[in-house]
Amino acid sequence: MRSVDVARTALGNTFRSKLRTALTVVAIVIGSFTLTLTSGLGAGVNKYVDTVVAGFGGSSQMFVMSTGASDAEPTDGPAEYDPEAAASTGGMFGPGSGGGVLTDSDIEEIEQIENVSSVDPMVFVSPDFIETPDGERYDMELDVPANALGLELAAGEAPGEDGMELSIPEDWLTIFDTEDAEQVIGETVEIGISNVTGEQSTVEAEIVGVSEEALSGIGATPMPSRELNQQLNELSMEGYEGQAQNAYTMAVVDVENIEASEQGVKDALIDQDLLGLTVEDQIGAVQGVIDAVSWVLSGFGLIALLAASFGIVNTLLMSVQERTREIGLMKALGMSSGKVFGLFSMEAVVIGILGSVIGVVLGLGAGLVGNAWLTGEGGPLGAVAGLTLFAVDPLAIAGITALIVFIAFLAGTLPAARAAKKDPIEALRYE
Amino acid sequence: MSTPVLETENLVKVYGKGATRFDALKGLTFEIHEGESVAIVGKSGSGKSTLMHLLALLDEPTSGVVALGGEPVTALKPKKVSQLRNDTFGFVFQQFFLNPNQTVLENITLPLKIAGMGKSERNRRGMEVLEQLDMADKAKNKATNLSGGQKQRACIARALVNKPTVLFADEPTGNLDTVTSEIVEDILFGLHRDHGITLVVVTHDEDLAAKCQRRLMMQDGEIVTEEHGATGVHA
Repeated sequence: MRSVDVARTALGNTFRSKLRTALTVVAIVIGSFTLTLTSGLGAGVNKYVDTVVAGFGGSSQMFVMSTGASDAEPTDGPAEYDPEAAASTGGMFGPGSGGGVLTDSDIEEIEQIENVSSVDPMVFVSPDFIETPDGERYDMELDVPANALGLELAAGEAPGEDGMELSIPEDWLTIFDTEDAEQVIGETVEIGISNVTGEQSTVEAEIVGVSEEALSGIGATPMPSRELNQQLNELSMEGYEGQAQNAYTMAVVDVENIEASEQGVKDALIDQDLLGLTVEDQIGAVQGVIDAVSWVLSGFGLIALLAASFGIVNTLLMSVQERTREIGLMKALGMSSGKVFGLFSMEAVVIGILGSVIGVVLGLGAGLVGNAWLTGEGGPLGAVAGLTLFAVDPLAIAGITALIVFIAFLAGTLPAARAAKKDPIEALRYE
Repeated sequence: MSTPVLETENLVKVYGKGATRFDALKGLTFEIHEGESVAIVGKSGSGKSTLMHLLALLDEPTSGVVALGGEPVTALKPKKVSQLRNDTFGFVFQQFFLNPNQTVLENITLPLKIAGMGKSERNRRGMEVLEQLDMADKAKNKATNLSGGQKQRACIARALVNKPTVLFADEPTGNLDTVTSEIVEDILFGLHRDHGITLVVVTHDEDLAAKCQRRLMMQDGEIVTEEHGATGVHA
C-alpha cells in the first residue's frame, strides 16, 4: 500500500464515527490550546523584557551591591561592636535588613579594580515638594538617575548627566493643565527639600522629558539628572555635624570592554564581599522567573494532553475491535502487519494533527484577542507602555504541534499493535 | 499434465495439545494443476476450511509442506507470503466482507490498493472487472445498498481485480437463494472455462461440487475419496 493511500484511508476512517473522533479531538484541543496560550504568554512577556533591555543598548554598566555576608557572621549572643561593620550594615535599610550598604571605603576599593573606569554611588533623595511656575505645590518622590536608561519617553529626552534637568510621568501633565506632552518640555519647576535640621530650601530644574510608565515601574515618578540628584543630596545633608559616614545602597560602575572583562570584575567584587550585576544579569533573573511560571502553566497543558492520549488509546482500541473483520480481510488480501500497524498509527496521528491544529489556532486567537484587549487603548493594562502579554513564536508553535502529534502517535501504537497482531482467519470468523 | 500450481506433502494441522488436542488434518498429499477446478467437499468439522486456509497461505501447517508453483512456502517471511497472496490469489467469501461505507468500486479495488497501485490505474482496472460482471452501473453505489447476488458479484470482482492464478471460493453460494446461486456459479465456472483460472471451491453443497472437474471428499481430516469428471454440469 502506498503511503499516500495509507494517509488517505486513515483520514477517511477517522471521520467514519464522527462524534467519537470529535470528542477525542476536543480533549487534544484543550491540551494544545493551553500549551499555545502559556508558551505565547511566556514569549510575549519575555519579548517585552527584551525590548526593555534593548533600550539599555549594550550597556557597559554594572550595578554593585554589598552582599553583607561576611560582616554578619552568626554569633551566639550579642556580637562585639565593630564601627566599620556597624556603618556598613546600618544605613537607610537599618540593621537586620540582610543586605549591607556600600561605604566610601567600598567605593574606593571598587575604583581600584582593573577595567573599572568610573564608579557612581547611587543616592536616594526625598524632596518635599515640586512647585509649578504658577506657584502650586505637589508632593513628590524621585527616581534614581541610574534608571534613566530604562525610561520610555512620550516626549522630549531623558535627563542627562549634567544640567538641572528632570523628566515627569505622563499623568503629571494635569498639573500644567495640558494634555500635550510637547508643551511642558522646557518648563521650569522648583523642587523643595529639607535638610537634617529641618530647614527647607529649593532648586530650579527644567523639564526635558515626559515618561510613560513601564512594567518595571520606571517612569511612574519624576526622574532627576545626575547633577540635580547630587545637588538635592547636598542640600539634604546641609547642617550635618561631625563626619558624615556616607552609605549607598548601590553603585553604578562603568566597565571598560564589558564583554571581555565582565567576569574578572565580578570576581574582584566578590573578593570584596560585593556583588556586581550587569543589566543582562538583572533582566535574565526576571526572564528566568517568567520562564519558570510559563513552564509550570505548560505543565498543566501537558497533563491535559496526557489525559487526552488515553482518549486516543480508548477510541482506537474500540475502533480496532469494531473493524476486526475489515482488518482480517485486508490481511487476507495481502496487507502486511507492518502496513496495518502503519494505518492505525496514522489514524492516531490524524487525530493528533486535527487536535493540535484546532487548539493552536484557538490558542493564538484567544491570545492575540486577549492581548489586544488587555494592553490596548483603554484596556486594564493599557497604561503600561510597550507591554505585550502574548507573542507568536513560530518555533514554539511548531514544537507544540510536533509534540502533540508525537504523543498521539505513541498513544496509537498500542491499538495499532493490536490490529497488526490479528490473525486473518480468526478475524474473518469473528462475528 | 501441466506443473502443479499448488501441491501439498504430508500436510498436518493440529490444534491445542494434551487432552484438548485436535488433529484437523492428518497428513494430506495432493496436487492442484493450473486451470483445474477442484471442490473440497465435506461436513463441517471435516477439516475442509483448515485445508483451504493452508492452501491459501493464511495459516501455517503444524508439519508438512505447501508449495506454490513448485516452491515450498513454509520458509518464506510473512511479508513475502502476504505479497504472494496479494499477487496470485483471489478470495470469494460466504459472508462477502464488503466494507458497507465504501462504494463498490472502492471495495473491489482494495487488493490493488494494498498492492500499491496508483488510484487512476486502480479505478480503470476496477471498472474493467465490473463491466465483465455486468456491475458497472453499480460502481458508485455504497456496498450496503446491494442485493445478496450483487454483493457476491462484487466480491468476485474484488477477487478477480488483481488477475489471480488461483481463485479460492469458501461456500460462495452459502448465503444466496437458488436462483442467485445459479448465476454466481455460472460466473465462477465461466471464468474457469473462458479465462483458465484455477478454481478451488470449499463447500458442503453437493450440486456445486458436482460441477467441478475434481472433488476431494473430506472426513475427519483425511481425504476419503477423490472423484473425477464434472458429473453435474447441466448444459
